[in-house]
Amino acid sequence: MEFIQKKTADNAAEHFLAKAADRGTKLAWDRFEGQLPECGFCESGLSCRDCLQGPCISHPFRDVNKRGVCGKDKDILAVQTLLKLVLKGTMASLDQVSDFVEGVASGAVKPKDKAEADRIVAGIEALLKEGGAGMKKAFPKDLLAAWEEAGIYPQGVAKDLFKASQKVEGGVAGVEETLFWAFKAALLGAFAQRLQGGLKKAVFGAAPAEIEVNMGILKKDTATILLYGRFSPVLKAKIAAAAAKKKVNVAGVCTDPLLSPYVFAPVTSYGSQELPLMTGAVDLIVTGDQFVHPSVAAIAAEYNTVVVPTETLKGRNPEAFTNEIVEKALNAFQFRSSVARDIPEAKESALMGLSAADLDVKKIAVALNEGKIKGIAILAGTNNVKFTQDLPFVTMAQEFLKDDILCISEGDASVSLAKYGFLNPRQCGKHCGDGVAKLLKAAGSNLPAVLDLGYAENGGVAEFLFALSAAAKKAVKELPVLACFAEANRSAEVAEALGLVAMGVSTFFWPSLPVTGSPKTMEALGKLCGEKFGARLIVHTDKKMEPLAKARMILKVFNRVEDPILKDHPWTDWKTQG
Amino acid sequence: MVDKEKCTGCHQCELWCGTEIASTSRELARAINEEPHPAPRVYVEGKPFALQCRHCESAPCLDACPNGTMRRDPETGLIYVNEPTCIACWMCVMVCPFGIINPSSSMKVAIKCDRCRNMGYPICAEVCPTGALSLVERKDYRKKKF
Repeated sequence: MEFIQKKTADNAAEHFLAKAADRGTKLAWDRFEGQLPECGFCESGLSCRDCLQGPCISHPFRDVNKRGVCGKDKDILAVQTLLKLVLKGTMASLDQVSDFVEGVASGAVKPKDKAEADRIVAGIEALLKEGGAGMKKAFPKDLLAAWEEAGIYPQGVAKDLFKASQKVEGGVAGVEETLFWAFKAALLGAFAQRLQGGLKKAVFGAAPAEIEVNMGILKKDTATILLYGRFSPVLKAKIAAAAAKKKVNVAGVCTDPLLSPYVFAPVTSYGSQELPLMTGAVDLIVTGDQFVHPSVAAIAAEYNTVVVPTETLKGRNPEAFTNEIVEKALNAFQFRSSVARDIPEAKESALMGLSAADLDVKKIAVALNEGKIKGIAILAGTNNVKFTQDLPFVTMAQEFLKDDILCISEGDASVSLAKYGFLNPRQCGKHCGDGVAKLLKAAGSNLPAVLDLGYAENGGVAEFLFALSAAAKKAVKELPVLACFAEANRSAEVAEALGLVAMGVSTFFWPSLPVTGSPKTMEALGKLCGEKFGARLIVHTDKKMEPLAKARMILKVFNRVEDPILKDHPWTDWKTQG
Repeated sequence: MVDKEKCTGCHQCELWCGTEIASTSRELARAINEEPHPAPRVYVEGKPFALQCRHCESAPCLDACPNGTMRRDPETGLIYVNEPTCIACWMCVMVCPFGIINPSSSMKVAIKCDRCRNMGYPICAEVCPTGALSLVERKDYRKKKF
């Protein structure tokens, strides 16, 4: 089935699309086209493969098969599909934090702040077993009270995640109860991210840094290692240390770029992760699991690039392992001398890794209270092949900044925006309206138009929100803050979006989640969440909506213009409240 | 035409026929919640085999229709229901040897596949993930060995 849409807004990536077509290399975009049309039942959350009596569907147009064999109807099917996504997303955060703790506990690195690191490690170990007592310190009291009241206050992995995972196995839990289990799981993930951020700070320290992004940073005359995906910071630091000794260049894709004192410059964003390999300038890649396309192995093979999965580290001495990786990279560099290195010129400077401590949060709170800026937009998430890569982010940032809305971003969304100069402090004036420009000058030194709050795994956004809420003396839900997953994709992002909603931030989510088959679930994500948390998860079903239309729709919310699509939106609630 | 070896019974043809042809919104997420629910013109029942109109050369439904509601498009040879004149007598439903004409209780008309005669290409063949449904000439289909 044909799918006509510009594939990417990134010129560097586009260069390789033509090259891939010439060589017959299949990329994510080609494979997506091959998948069309996608299964309508799965897309709407109306299918189930949870047991071996199935697979079952709930047929929207026929009466004979409205329910699965076990009796799940369309509402339960859809809400359980959401729960499954959230569980998987939360596991992603927990997996990272447990890897990190393992590395720190093994004594492989010397923490900068030993006492704090030990405290957090103990907290994480407690979280993994049962008690999530550390929650009380990590989140504001009013949120904890709201969660307690809604019955979603998490007790720890062993108590909650195991139970939540069984909600898809059977039982008579309804939409509301299942949805709350999903929120509980999402909050565990959010808590794990906060702990991971704390631990990273205690072990490695944290400071923003100006780094370069996009494929132009690859080098012609140096052996290069690319780190793919999110994996243990301890291992990353070891690889960087070993590589520095031998003058091997190390960069990253979909991985936290900052790990003081090392920097892993982001070569590209999620959607085009296969393309850096096509430059021919990558000698070795180290791949984790999260956020990595399995296809990179095949493309690496095409260019004689060595692939080392992090799993192969198991049971080995990390020092010997990382030295071996660097040796392999050097050998590959020699061996691959005949491979042409086609490196595009694209390169952009970006200030990344800000935190609430680097910003004058009080000034931001004052600007919000005095109406000098209209609100704050959180741009989050990775790319999705269903949209023109990066275009939704760029359009939204452009429109929001012009209209005096402060934009903050995290993780891969930051990398996407950085490619177009939104994170370059010297281009700040180009994008911003007066209010935002003045605020950015006052709130910190040399700030770019969009403020990057670090990788999602470190929970920087939550930290910022709580600092802002304290400074503005308002609950998070009363602040004019909206989150926007413009081109979301992985389950970790679904979990994060639910976490943000529970914290009181209304969240726009594209593409539509697999809950559209269930009116009850859709309503619960709007109305019920509005009542319980003062925020909603807004899932749009219109597939043909242009990025500009999306940006303008969100702008209407910031400008408090009534709109039929946004009927009963929290913003109007917010307006009537104060 | 259907290749029964390839049909997995996934119901995608029904789903998209219901959305594109029978719904008023033509958007899956909305069509799902439409009342009365859209009625697809192709059926997968019991066995993995998509049933849709064969547009018979000697069509019993044409003979059975008492008032000329069931018509054959002179250009394409496709048989369709002229809905405004249907009196819901269900004669066509009774005589169809393939059982593909269904009474629509809510609309009081007979509904059947018209092979998307106004769309150029049948949506069921377009969406079929295994290629079990395809648009082939009858004489070519007969030559295939099934």
